Amino acid sequence: MPGTHLEPASVAQRVSQELFSGAVVALGPGLPCYLPGALPDTSGVWFIADSGALGSKGGEAHGNAVDAGENPVSLLSGGSFTGVVDVAGILRGGHTDIAVLQPSQVAANGDFVHWTSEETAGLFAPGSAVDMAYGAATVIAVMPHQYPGGRSNIVSQCSLPVDGAGRVNIIITDVSVIKVTAAGLELVETAPGWTAEEIIAITDASLTVSSDLKEMTFNVPTLEPANKVYSSAIEALSDVLEGSIINVDGFAGPGGMAHYLMVGLRDLGVKKLQLISNTAGVARVSAFGVPNIIDHSILVENNQVVKATASYPVSPSASRPSAFEEAYNRGETELEVVPQGTLAERLRSGGAGVAAFYTPTGAGTLLGDGKEARIIDGKDYILETGLRADFCIIRGYKADTLGNVIYKGTSRNFNPVMATAAEITVVEVDEIVEPGQLGPEEIVTPGLFVNRIVVRPADFSAYLEI
Amino acid sequence: MTSAPENTPGDLTKQGKLYSSALAALEGISNDATVLVAGFAGCGIPQKLLRGLAESGVSGLTLICQGAWIQEPGDFTVTDLVASGQVKKMISPMPFHPVHGGVVKEQWESGELEIEIVSQGVLAERLRAGGAGIGGVFLPSSSGTRFAEGKEVRQYDGCEHVLELALKADFALLRAQAADTLGNMVYDGTARNWNPTMAMAAAVTVVEVDAVHDPGGIDPELVITQAIFIDRLVLSD
Repeated sequence: MPGTHLEPASVAQRVSQELFSGAVVALGPGLPCYLPGALPDTSGVWFIADSGALGSKGGEAHGNAVDAGENPVSLLSGGSFTGVVDVAGILRGGHTDIAVLQPSQVAANGDFVHWTSEETAGLFAPGSAVDMAYGAATVIAVMPHQYPGGRSNIVSQCSLPVDGAGRVNIIITDVSVIKVTAAGLELVETAPGWTAEEIIAITDASLTVSSDLKEMTFNVPTLEPANKVYSSAIEALSDVLEGSIINVDGFAGPGGMAHYLMVGLRDLGVKKLQLISNTAGVARVSAFGVPNIIDHSILVENNQVVKATASYPVSPSASRPSAFEEAYNRGETELEVVPQGTLAERLRSGGAGVAAFYTPTGAGTLLGDGKEARIIDGKDYILETGLRADFCIIRGYKADTLGNVIYKGTSRNFNPVMATAAEITVVEVDEIVEPGQLGPEEIVTPGLFVNRIVVRPADFSAYLEI
Repeated sequence: MTSAPENTPGDLTKQGKLYSSALAALEGISNDATVLVAGFAGCGIPQKLLRGLAESGVSGLTLICQGAWIQEPGDFTVTDLVASGQVKKMISPMPFHPVHGGVVKEQWESGELEIEIVSQGVLAERLRAGGAGIGGVFLPSSSGTRFAEGKEVRQYDGCEHVLELALKADFALLRAQAADTLGNMVYDGTARNWNPTMAMAAAVTVVEVDAVHDPGGIDPELVITQAIFIDRLVLSD
């Protein structure tokens, strides 16, 4: 006599064992929505609902917030709201560690069908499941092992059109845990009271039984938010390698520029950097600043820069060339000129998992040379590709310890988009506050994009001594 | 080419873009129009504008929206427009609840209603492209599935990406918590959902708001949708 079927809360507890501190976890509708309730509010896991709630928890209602399953939810301290297009970028752009979905069927090769039955076979409900499945590093299918009528939800081959081809990594049901491997499905855990034979008997796909078969447990792991606060710019940038690509924020003048991090980068002395930035350092030679304002020039003059990708690489005044211009004219640096909107769009694409896009900007000009041209609906476009960096240095006004950032005025500029398009994003702020002190509607850059935070010291000067 | 604005900036601050009724705010909508409708579950649905659309009697509509799922009693949603026979086609990632079905499922089964399923992130990206002047995007989501069928596929970074084309509409019906008379808008919670993206992707954007302030009444750091995207406002009931 087999054991009983686990309740959703118990299944959620088992799923929680797959999470890790600081994980970004996207939840589809149905059983996945139980997961936030399984963990204490202090876990530091980012639960993403495709409704636009970042850092949600179940159980309590915010008033005007729902999760992917349309259940009322509230936010954890440090959570924020965003729109569906930004959620899509979080799912697709390499920011999501784990997707938890409730498919209707999972096949032996990891194919899955989302929220569809034979009754509506021609009509399906992918929601964000497709984006989650293709964007997340790991995909967990959480589902009843069988339909109510007793048919298996785990099949050798899906009988309906699939929403993801070979995307599922692990299946957690109300009676078992099954890994999807290259060799097929492997039963690794059974629920209390169930034997491997009993699981095999109710599964319409071949299962191999792990030599290390275990009974499912329901202890919840102890997780805590990653410590993102660093003591100095140098500490926060100490692992920047020679040849790194670095997003450098800022518009043109001093506003919104990470001066303190720039100085740290200079003091580290790391060479052959490729900068992606709106300018290549013009604050010092323009009316925006004064001759000793810190800008990209301090890196150029320290022989650290081999390339700039920028929309405004030259000084506005021919008689006052920037340090980058002089280095370029000496043949020491490479330059890729990108119009500002295209630069922003390429970074947004890099951060949102868009490999390439057709833009009208530059079509028929020198900027389109060597790029694919295409006419769409009678209009000329050129193909531009997404842009990503190894590091990003940005300047915020305030951040909380989870990495949520707000800006002031036009110092926002490239910061929010650049923050999404780097492996490691480091933010310099005037003040660090506790989670919950920045309003959920106010947060511009959600903390899941930010890896490291440093306070710009009160006595730090953005001006070089002369 | 855009035509000259009817109001001078001075008039705008006085009269704003505020219309007296939903029907008035939907002036110019015609049969066979493509209409974006914001909302995710019960949050951020422009119910008054949908009622106005029903009242207008236009038909043959193509609605682009999250879907027609469970409806609270007394709510007016896209389900009601489908029920009134005004909708020819829905483009949606979750057209109806697979178990609860309802009128959308019935009309789809009888062939009265055409449904095009688009993955949520792909739909959002197509609308964003439409609103941002991008002709098309190569996306990783969907390679190897039916969503990729008939579409151009290219390899980037060792995996397949599918070309998805921009999407635009004639009208967008949105819902915001508050706006100023110029149309700068803020939202509440997940009521934000499709609103900011849809605001960019329609020829005429109409917003149902709970409160209207004078310009300056909304903190500029908190504005999510900028007034330049908004044509008309109407107060919710």
